[in-house]
Amino acid sequence: MVQLPTWTALSPTLLLGLTAIVLLLVDSIDPDSSNNELLAGVAGLGSIAAAATSVWFIVAGTGLPAENGELISLFDDQLVVDQMALFFSFLVASVLTLVVVASYDYMADKARQAKYYSLTVMAATGMSLLGSANGLAVAFVALELASLPSYALVAILKTNKGSVEAALKYFLVGALSSGVFLYGISLVYGATGSLQFDAVAAALTDGVPAGILGIGVLMIVGGVAFKTASVPFHFWAPEAYEGAPAPISAFLSSASKAAGFVLAFRVFATALMGDAVLAVVDWVLVFQVLAIVTMFVGNFAAATQENVKRMLAYSSVGHAGYVLIGLAALTGGSSDAYVLGSGMMHLLVYGFMNTGAFLFIALVEYWDIGRTFEDYNGLATQAPLACAAMTVFLFSLAGLPIGGGFFSKFNLLMATVRSGTWFLGAALIVNSALSLYYYTRVVKAMWIEEPASGLEIERYPIGLYTAVLVAALVTVLLLPGFDAVSQTAETAASLL
Amino acid sequence: MSNPWIAIGALALVGVLIPLSMISVSALLRPSVPEQGKRATYESGEIPTGSSQQIRFNIQYYMVALLFVVFDIETVLIFPWTVIYRDAVGALGYEQVLFPMLLFLGVLVAGLAWAWRNGAVQWVKSPRATRQLSTNNE
Amino acid sequence: MTAFDYAPAIALLPFVSFLVALFGGQYLPKKGALAGIAATAGSLVLSAWVALTVAGGQTYNEALYTFTAGLETFDLHLGILIDPLTALMLLIVSFIALLVHVFSLGYMNDEGETGLPRYYAGLGLFTASMLGFVYADNILMAFMFFELVGLCSYLLIGFNFREAGPPSAAKKAFLVTRFGDYFFLIGVVGIFVTFAGATQTPGLFAGEGSFPVVAEHAIVDGATEGLNTFGFEPQTWFTILGLLVLGGVMGKSAQFPLHTWLPDAMEGPTPVSALIHAATMVAAGVYLVARMYGFYALTPTTLAVIALVGGFTALFAATMGVVKQELKQVLAYSTISQYGYMMLALGSGGYIAAVFHLTTHAVFKALLFLGAGAVIIAMHHEENMWEMGGLKDKMPVTYYTFLAGSLALAGIVPFAGFWSKDEVLYEALIHGFGTEGGLGTVFLVAYAMGLLAVFFTGFYTFRMVYLTFHGEARTETAKKPHGVRWNVKGPLAVLGILATTIGFVNLAPVKKLTGLEVDFLHKWLLGAEGSGWEALLTGYEHYEHVLHDGPAHVLVGEPLGATGTLIASALLSLGLAVAGVLAARSLYKVPEPVEHTDKLGSIKTLLMHNYYQDEYQVWLATGFTYPLSRAADKFDQGVIDGVVNGISSVSLFSGSRVRRLQTGVVTNYALFITIALVVLLVVFGLTGGWF
Repeated sequence: MVQLPTWTALSPTLLLGLTAIVLLLVDSIDPDSSNNELLAGVAGLGSIAAAATSVWFIVAGTGLPAENGELISLFDDQLVVDQMALFFSFLVASVLTLVVVASYDYMADKARQAKYYSLTVMAATGMSLLGSANGLAVAFVALELASLPSYALVAILKTNKGSVEAALKYFLVGALSSGVFLYGISLVYGATGSLQFDAVAAALTDGVPAGILGIGVLMIVGGVAFKTASVPFHFWAPEAYEGAPAPISAFLSSASKAAGFVLAFRVFATALMGDAVLAVVDWVLVFQVLAIVTMFVGNFAAATQENVKRMLAYSSVGHAGYVLIGLAALTGGSSDAYVLGSGMMHLLVYGFMNTGAFLFIALVEYWDIGRTFEDYNGLATQAPLACAAMTVFLFSLAGLPIGGGFFSKFNLLMATVRSGTWFLGAALIVNSALSLYYYTRVVKAMWIEEPASGLEIERYPIGLYTAVLVAALVTVLLLPGFDAVSQTAETAASLL
Repeated sequence: MSNPWIAIGALALVGVLIPLSMISVSALLRPSVPEQGKRATYESGEIPTGSSQQIRFNIQYYMVALLFVVFDIETVLIFPWTVIYRDAVGALGYEQVLFPMLLFLGVLVAGLAWAWRNGAVQWVKSPRATRQLSTNNE
Repeated sequence: MTAFDYAPAIALLPFVSFLVALFGGQYLPKKGALAGIAATAGSLVLSAWVALTVAGGQTYNEALYTFTAGLETFDLHLGILIDPLTALMLLIVSFIALLVHVFSLGYMNDEGETGLPRYYAGLGLFTASMLGFVYADNILMAFMFFELVGLCSYLLIGFNFREAGPPSAAKKAFLVTRFGDYFFLIGVVGIFVTFAGATQTPGLFAGEGSFPVVAEHAIVDGATEGLNTFGFEPQTWFTILGLLVLGGVMGKSAQFPLHTWLPDAMEGPTPVSALIHAATMVAAGVYLVARMYGFYALTPTTLAVIALVGGFTALFAATMGVVKQELKQVLAYSTISQYGYMMLALGSGGYIAAVFHLTTHAVFKALLFLGAGAVIIAMHHEENMWEMGGLKDKMPVTYYTFLAGSLALAGIVPFAGFWSKDEVLYEALIHGFGTEGGLGTVFLVAYAMGLLAVFFTGFYTFRMVYLTFHGEARTETAKKPHGVRWNVKGPLAVLGILATTIGFVNLAPVKKLTGLEVDFLHKWLLGAEGSGWEALLTGYEHYEHVLHDGPAHVLVGEPLGATGTLIASALLSLGLAVAGVLAARSLYKVPEPVEHTDKLGSIKTLLMHNYYQDEYQVWLATGFTYPLSRAADKFDQGVIDGVVNGISSVSLFSGSRVRRLQTGVVTNYALFITIALVVLLVVFGLTGGWF
């Protein structure tokens, strides 16, 4: 077999970037094209290629240490391609694929389609790049590459007031958070004299100025919390997810959140792990506090919503709390790889089930039958297949053994058990039970309630249906196939 | 040993005091001549849109500014590159010196072409600005 | 390829017929009957092949599909165990199932019943589950199929769900057997928990590392390492486990006091009754005891319980059979009674006698039920014997085959039932005399009850025969019975011949008297010389050793010498049976019999009410369990739900508070974020000592 050049290890990200440029070129040749077959086709091909390449590399062991024990690193160690990078490339690319396929119908009669697709793919490029970032500077650039298109995407429906308002809020809070994050980076750089993760870790000895490092670390926590929509940086999330077009909500709440977490995993597990840092600022404790508060705020707020999309937005905040366990249960002991791995597993499963749930919302918006729980009454009489898929998503989100969400939550629970952070496990259980309540409300509305008179669905858009059903299928298949995911995730986590 | 944070606090205090004192001193010294033209926003000679209380720049300034920033950064990158270009080619060959820069420029050109085609550099006068101009002239 | 490679097909074929009948039965000419017949015939052929292979000295004990792989602990799997016992039972079950399917053509199709696809689907699944149960290689798989068997019996008993009786009977059968199965389930879990530490394969029935063998090592050799006996002595704990599993056995095999479902189950179609009584449901319980006999043989207490329950049930059910007026009711009580004999035999160390009686009983009880079915067809679904009479001349095939079955049931020489029942009683007697202490006494008491039941059996059997077939026709229907076709007569003829002859497979008494090698079943269950069977440790030789040298110390004692005891026992039981038959003859073989049982007065009332068993069980349910449940419900509604509701209202309230944080004003968000960050900085700064 031909040995590919080293830089090709970055193929998933490069493919996404290339796709974005191709889309821009298409838009240059034919501005404001509404040829959505071509646009969605290009974007879809690029994202599928990226996802397939990631899987290929994962299976081929590209991200595993070579015989000399070294991982593939590029650009003077600024980028690294390990299993975790590929894992998240796959996650981002597959969510992107679903979103693009769904957008084929959702954006069919909307303006600015070419910009929509190219911005989406650019954001995905940034998220994928974030997975490979091996230094704070690259991480920041990648983070902004992911964020800036996101702001514009939320506002893509320019004439929709909610969309524009949400985008502005998202942008303002995002700018604040980016500033906080960048300041944190500068302080850490000031304390350690380095931006590259390994170098930062090496520089963290006992003589580090405590105050500068401490403030820097906390501010980096802030930046991460913004990107992952964790309390108290979550305020943008419900508004942005609700105001944005539903496929974009899906993309932001799944892929963007995952990107935020991969940044957190890398920064904290690689650069800032160690007694020298923990003695100054116990960021594990910070994450424990954030995880619990995020779980409770997200789930409690979700329980009282009337609008399904907003409910999902809050539940997304709650899920950020669950994944935070992957950081909050780190002890520096032998259970760390498992803890981190369980966070990654949940992100992957969440990527499919949550994207699917938001795409179902997109389907409902496409039908234009309203946004509240009551509007969903009796939907199953008209669209049983889509409602069955939604039921799978919701129950899997709640952690019932109907989809991969059961195992990923179970693994998170086991992670808290193994690391002895029982209170996180307790919070997880309490909140999952609570979440079952509001997820079931949707299911009940769809299947049990009588439909409002005149509820009739005439169009069954093929793209949205395909995306929703594929997401449901993957969610269910992750139940038997969870072993492969968990092994990859644990291997990836153990390489950090 | 004194706490280094005292120095930082003092610096912050000085940093706040200097601008405050400058503003207050000039407020005390200057004569007050209220006049309409003073309130008008300076917009590079263009007729300002709206009042100066709510500053409204024409959005097209941002377009141009963004393009400027992009190419400004390009200049910053390309300048040192040209300085070392000859030596670098000798040491590493075209493959590692010329091609990445061409790729970078290619991406920028693609972006520029897109911006151009989508009308980012086309100066459109806003209808309201044109209307105001005509009223002022009467 | 050997026969064992095809063994899974034995249970899968009827399962396929279940699917065919369920989904395609509507479109088939006989509504799924032919698929069922083909499938059970296939199973029979395969079972015969397997039996021949086993006769050649081979056995099989393999895991086929592991559905839960344990890390550093045991696996849960489906597998197949085939030893001579399994092979014999496979033959019986598939044979009876085949005949029942054929008979159903006459009983159901010809009678124009509706819902036939459902019926044949039920039969197919019933057969499949029983076959799966029979060759299950571990107790969990056995439990799964045991439950399936219970489910199928529920579906089939309640086949005529539009009438009042069948659904209620089905529910009763389901609930009563389920009551027993709870104990079984706890027992299964208990067995896994107990033996998991000592062996990799705690659930297996056979082989080194199976739970009966590990238990034997623990008790006989004291090898208790890794066992978890919850602080009990192994002996005590194994007794508890054995009794728990026995709960399921007593439910399924209708042993006192869980026998009450069986007479009601007569509401099902008669071929189903034949299947339930002869080969599937009821046989499952006794078969389970035989399957894990190595475990029961270790604990004298469970042996005593089994023997006592068996003997008591045999007598108790026989007395109730005396007064019943409906043909199938009499047969129902006879079934309970006969399974009592099998339990008696198992309890008193007569393993081969029990299997022998299981075999002969399968044949003659299937015969009797099918014969009763033929009578019921002829009588236009009238079941009361007092409405019959004089059918002898009108349906000779039915009469003579039914008579053969009755003679077998009553235990008259040389019909099948005589040989097996005699061996049961004989084994109980000699073990009773031979075994020291309380266990011997228990065996003798059980023997006495079993012996007494022989008289009643002879009486009620021939009361039934005389009332049904002899004398004058007492109603118009009985004068002009409906004819039956080949598909009814065929199975009857086959079974009639077998009921007469099958006793000859194990003429143990003859061997003892004459030295002729005619005890074929005995040899079968001992296993061929030098076969691989010894390794499975499920042969009779091994059980005999356990019984003899284990804590039970079951020994043989013959007070009248070897021959004397044998002849005395045989004469005693034969004499009692003949006495019963003669008593029935003198009372009922008259042209116009009267209800002599009226003379019993209050005893008859007691017997007609089945000793008020149903009443006290209903009282237990309504007078005790129901108030208890209601109290639990109160507690649940009030305290548990109250707490849950409280929590949920607190949640919703705080949820609405949290919601208010989201003001919608972006400057507020910026403020919150900044404040939160500052608070974090200050708190961690102070605790981290940065200042």
